[in-house]
Amino acid sequence: MDAQKVDMFIMTNGKFFESHQINVIRERLIALDDSKWAMLSTVQFKDPTTSLIVSLLGGSLGIDRFMIGDTGLGVGKLLTCGGLGIWAIIDWFMIMGATREKNMAKIQQFLY
Amino acid sequence: MHLSRNRLYGILTLACLAGYVWVYFNFSSDSLGNYDNINVCLIKHFTNVPCPSCGSTRSVLSILKGDFLQGFYFNPFGYILLLILIVVPLWLVYDYLRQKSTFFQFYVKAETFLQQKKTAIPAILLVLVNWFWNIYKGL
Repeated sequence: MDAQKVDMFIMTNGKFFESHQINVIRERLIALDDSKWAMLSTVQFKDPTTSLIVSLLGGSLGIDRFMIGDTGLGVGKLLTCGGLGIWAIIDWFMIMGATREKNMAKIQQFLY
Repeated sequence: MHLSRNRLYGILTLACLAGYVWVYFNFSSDSLGNYDNINVCLIKHFTNVPCPSCGSTRSVLSILKGDFLQGFYFNPFGYILLLILIVVPLWLVYDYLRQKSTFFQFYVKAETFLQQKKTAIPAILLVLVNWFWNIYKGL
């Protein structure tokens, strides 16, 4: 794919991924066929900042975990008052990384 | 998109251990139905409004003492939690010994089942109804 297009993609979507993954994504995208660009540019990623806000407000109910697609863990958090309040606090710090991991799993379907 | 098998099993082992310690701690500390010591819920702590799962510890304790109606009254989630606390460790031990991942497959299936609209919406409604009941009871 065109390097300019790839850099544009990285610039607009870089915040959705871990910084150490960006180089891999860039290399894979450059090697990728041009026909996948249309599909790739329409993929919706989850914003880590949004999930942090949701986690701060509704973390004890597991809403943050439901939102990023971890339904099982969400049910676990919901049934236990956010893991007796401890897991809810841990997730304030974990949820942004977890969201980025989910985004990575999503883009991986297109990269390989 | 899902958790890896070993990570899920680790989290669940930790959660079940914590659950048993929590239940044991509360079971041994409460003698005369004095439940005032149970107050770890963040929502209840800050807003004085009970959350959907407030009362589930009291519910589990009541069920363990054989008072099933009182357990249901405190919080119906207690039954689900007790079931999980009994079934999951046995299932995990079976998987560890047999080197299988039957529980993981079940977990993934259950997750996709819960994500469907026709099960998600009734489940959310049930939780909301339980929440309003909790507030009404003033747990």
